[in-house]
Order: sequence, then C-alpha cells, then structure tokens
Amino acid sequence: MRISKSIYLFFLPGLVLYSLFFLYPTISALFYSFTDWDGLSTAFQFVGIDNYTRAFTGDSIFQKTIGNNLKFMLTVVVFQTLVALAFALIVIKNTKTNVFLRALYFFPTILSSVSVAFIWAFIYDPSMGILNQVLELIGLDFLAQNWLGNANIAIYSLAITQVWFHAGQMLIIFVAGLQAIPEELYEVAKIEGASKWQTFKSVTWPLLAPSATIVVAYTTIQSFKAFDLVFAMTGGGPNNSTEIIATYIYDVAFKSYQFGYASAISIIFMVIIALITYLQFKALRSDRVSY
Amino acid sequence: MKKSLWLATGTVGLGLILGACAGESGGGDSSSESGDATQISFMHWRGEDKAVLDEIIADFEEANPDIRVEQNIYPSDQYQATAQRMLQEGSTGDVFTSFPGAQFESIESAGFFEDLSGEEFVSNFDESLITVGQKDGTQYALPYQLVFNMPVYNKGMFDELGLEVPKSWTEFQEMADTLLENDITPIAFPGADIGPNQFMNSMMMNNAPDEDIFEKLQNGDESLTNEWWVKTLEDFKLLADKGYIQDDALGTNQDSAMAMVANEEAAMLATGSYHMNSLLDLNPDLELDLLAPITVEESEATYEGINTATFMLAVNSNSDKKDQAKAFIDYLSQPEVASKYANETGQHLTVNDVEYESEALQNTSYWIDERNTRFQPRFLITNAQIEDAVLSSIENVLGGEDPMAAAEAAQQIVEENRE
Repeated sequence: MRISKSIYLFFLPGLVLYSLFFLYPTISALFYSFTDWDGLSTAFQFVGIDNYTRAFTGDSIFQKTIGNNLKFMLTVVVFQTLVALAFALIVIKNTKTNVFLRALYFFPTILSSVSVAFIWAFIYDPSMGILNQVLELIGLDFLAQNWLGNANIAIYSLAITQVWFHAGQMLIIFVAGLQAIPEELYEVAKIEGASKWQTFKSVTWPLLAPSATIVVAYTTIQSFKAFDLVFAMTGGGPNNSTEIIATYIYDVAFKSYQFGYASAISIIFMVIIALITYLQFKALRSDRVSY
Repeated sequence: MKKSLWLATGTVGLGLILGACAGESGGGDSSSESGDATQISFMHWRGEDKAVLDEIIADFEEANPDIRVEQNIYPSDQYQATAQRMLQEGSTGDVFTSFPGAQFESIESAGFFEDLSGEEFVSNFDESLITVGQKDGTQYALPYQLVFNMPVYNKGMFDELGLEVPKSWTEFQEMADTLLENDITPIAFPGADIGPNQFMNSMMMNNAPDEDIFEKLQNGDESLTNEWWVKTLEDFKLLADKGYIQDDALGTNQDSAMAMVANEEAAMLATGSYHMNSLLDLNPDLELDLLAPITVEESEATYEGINTATFMLAVNSNSDKKDQAKAFIDYLSQPEVASKYANETGQHLTVNDVEYESEALQNTSYWIDERNTRFQPRFLITNAQIEDAVLSSIENVLGGEDPMAAAEAAQQIVEENRE
C-alpha cells in the first residue's frame, strides 16, 4: 500500500511542540552547561567541562543532594509501591464500597502540593502537631520526634508525605493491572490447591509486572522531581538535609545566578534519572511477561 | 490525497490559532498606556501592605491624573528568585523594590538600576540610612523601611519579674535562668524558617564587630573556623543546651513561635521589629520592646542592636516610563505619605520627618537615634551559597553538632564557592 506524503504533515504539530518545549530547552541547557552564564547578562564565556568537574569534585552540597535524593527515592519507591499494591488488592473488586474507597485513596492526589505541604507541616509540628499528640495519647510518646527539624529523619518524613500524596495514583494503576489478569488462572491455581501466597507469587505478581514497572518507574521519576513538596515544607533544611537535586538546581540558578552551573547539574540530573529508569526496566523485565 | 492534505493543514492551522490565542491572553502588558493615562507597574513583595498602598496609590492618581499605578506583588522568596528576570524584560516593575545584599548586587551588576543620584527626592530620606542603596558613589536604590532584626521581648513580663535588659552575656544568662525558673521559655526561636537568618545577626554583632567580616570571608581573608564565628556557634549551642530556646526549635515555624510569645509561654521572639504588629494583633495586652543579646562582657560590647534599611525603591533602567516612575517614588517620600504608610503598616521608615502615631512605633523609635545599631551583617554576604553555608552551620549546631565541626563543614562550602 502506498502511503501519501501528506501524512507526514500530521507529525508536524507534535514535532513543533516537542521541539519547542523539550528539544530546544534541553539543547539550550546542554549548551549553557559549558558556559559561566549568570542568566541575566547577554555575555558569557565558555568554561569547557569546568561546571561538570565542579559538580563532582568541588561541590559538597551537590554530592549531598544526590545522597538525599537516593534516600528519598528508595523510601518512596518501596513504601509507595507496597502501600499502593496492598490497597489495590483490598479494593480490586468493583463493589460500591471499593469504588468509594478507591476514590477516597485517590483524593490526596487531586490536592495541590502546597496544600499537602501545609497539612503535613501542621501534622509534623513538634509542639502543636497532631502526630506527636496522638503518639503521646496512645502511650508511645518515646516515638515523638521533631519530624522536620531533625536532620537525621527530615528526609524520611518528607518521603512519607510524598507516599501519602501519590499512593492513590499508583493504586489505580495496580487495580487496572489486577483486573486485567484472567480469572481462569486463579481458578486453575485454586484447583491445583495453591495457597494464597503461592497464587500471589506465581500468578498475580508475574502478570502484574507491567503495571509494577510503570509504578516503580513513575514513582522514581516523581520522587526525583519532588520539588514543590520539599520547597514548601523544609526549603532544603535543616542543614541541607532535605536538599534534593531539583531544589538545589533552583537555588543555584535563581538565588546564586549561576545558570551555567545549574544547567550542568540539570544535565547530570537527567542522566541519573534516565539511568535509574533504564536499570529498573531491565530488572523488572516487563516486556517478557506473557499469559 | 487532497482531503488528507486539507485535514493536516487545518490541524496545523488550528494549533497555530490556539497557540496565538493562548499567547495573547496570557501575555498582558502590566505597564501600558491606559486610556490617556500612562500605567506603571510597582513591583514588590509586601502583600501585607497592599491595602494601605492601594489608598496611597489612589491619592497619587488623584494628584497625578495622567499616571496609573498597578501593584505587582510576589511572595518574598519568589521575589528574590524571579524579580531580575521580570526587570530584564522591562514591562513589569517600572518602580520596583530590592532587598539589600545579594539581590542588590545582582541587579546592579545586571545594570537594571536607574541612577537616582541627582533626583531631588533623595534629600527626603535620612542620608545615613540610604548608603546601602549606593554603589561606587551612585544612588541606585532608596531604602524605605527601617526594621530592627533583633528579638522582640515582652517588656510587661520583664517588669513583672523584676528583670532588666541584660548588658552582657553573663547578665543575659542570668535573665534567661530567671525566666526558666518561672516556667517561661526565654526565647521562641522559629528555626524551621526565618530564625537562623534573623537571630544570627544579633548573636554575632559583638563577636565580630568588624563590619567587613563577611566581605573578608568571601575574599578568603577570614574563616568561619576563626574565633568570631566558632564563638557565635558556641553561644547558639549554649542557648540550646540550657533550654533558653524551646525544644525542637528547628521544627518550629514563625507562626508557632509568635503564638508562644503571644500566649506568654515565651518571653522573646527571635525575629524582628516587623513582627510587633502581628504580636499585638494576637495579644493586644502585650507591652513590647526590642532586645538584642550582648554575647560579650559589657565593656567589650560595641553594638546594641541590628538595623536593616530595606524595601529599597528603585526605577527599572529598562522601563520606558522612568519619569512617571520617579514621580511615584517622589510621592512616596513625602513625609505625610510616608507617615500614613508607617503608621498603617507598623514600620519605621528611612524618610525624614515621619510622625509615628502608634504606641509601639513611638516606644521603639529611640532605637533609630539613641542606640548604636549595626546594619544587618547577613545582607553583607553577597554570595547566596556562602550565606546558606553560614546559616546551615547554625542549624547544624542546634541539631547537636560540635561548633568547631559545624564551622569546618561550613568553611569547606565557603571555599568551594569563593569567586
């Protein structure tokens, strides 16, 4: 069949938008990452790979942000995936109660991140916060913490907020994945005398792998880019303990006016996310799953 | 073939039309000709002053019917990050305000300040308070507000307990002990937000009386591991260890800290004079004044407090309405207009002949003329990453780190970011 050349015109709007809003900024960032541009002046100088060298050998805060980001990402990926999966298994059937519960679990997702930050800053407040008060009320006052003020735990407190914020979104993906698994497979497993755990391990989980891959990959990217929540709740403090790469790029670009250096960090950031996402896809091997 | 070509062309065309519509609706010019009048944009960060500025602007427009003023207000954090970009474009911020320090330096080096040196209205300001808006002898900006970035204290509570304002570090600790004995937290410290960047000023003012100390730090002639900063960190540690600031101070924000002082659970609020009005709103019975900790012995003390001339009025050099912009600054600098602004916002100003009517402003006016205050040292750190390092060392110590170790960690970041 001969395809008309005019069909290529259909690519044009997408190509224009993609080029304008993704390709051009990315190439610009790459270009400026080799300069000392301050973001305001028209003049700049090429500095070669100095910005990249600085990031890896002469900027202890940037190195700390990578560590913080990994802690945040791992906590969020593990807990968000587990929580979303557990809740999805509970609400998988389309009963009225379950539909209501799915909507309820999804509710935090529709809130603005600033509202979520405000709610959780109040929950975590060491003197007036509801979390410490509840812990005291149930006799677990030894667990009461300065959740956002303690540099050792602040990043995990933020991660829990992120899980609360987005687990509902992942739950919907898991529910869709679970509902796509053919019922017959469960019937066979039942006839064969498989236990619930064996059924989950041998039927549910392997066939849920494509959904799990999406959830894990999306959660990873989302947790790397969790700028708004961190910015609104801690601003990166105390003592840079919650500074993540995204907030650090903002500080370097818009507070220190080092756009060249910020561009270099952005490129490194993009490579890190791409690498981790690729490794996750390889590890979960979602493309090999079949019925 | 023809049909598909038309469809494709139509799709592209629709996309372009939609794009054009979106650009037009979102790209309103805030400083344009409005009827016969010229509209100028006044860009600043004081959302809480909008109402009084609206009244002042209405009076200004009545007196100058050919000029309209629109306020473009952004939260201070956002303002610090985005003002330069908007000034560069030129359509917003014909008149704008700048923070002293890093932002002033950045705007000056980008060339966005119009030279105001020869303008008549400059003489309406107190000469000694506007030097922060100068560079190399040129007056680029005119600070409007004068704030005291030092703790606000409950004077009534002090009188009741027979406490006097301490004049030395020893007396300060005795005063704090007395408050603790009376189940009162001496200092409410909002460590989760502005506490470190405000309280560091008065904590270090006498440990490092040299006003060029941060310039020297940035040049490599000074170090945070030297005595002046290590002692400041040790003093912070002492406040935390002895319970002079509340537990979990790093998790306390300014609203919670203000509530502690308003409820008389704490005697001092480690922020500044700009919070006095808010405290009085929360508890009108409070009698307030200002008190900076003297961290040395009385005979060694050089300064009694901290001042900041800020909210610096300036004209955007990229504006094509500079004359109208200058007319608005001229109007703001008239004593009667400035008095209205001062009294309705609870701020001291740098303008001459302002009449302060409120009791709180009158009671603290003596800090302007009678006390030896020093310009806020933090604003003399012109590199934002070095400023972050300095502030992080305070957070680090309050989190339990040894002062010397915290100073060394911060000094490493200073060295990484020296220009």
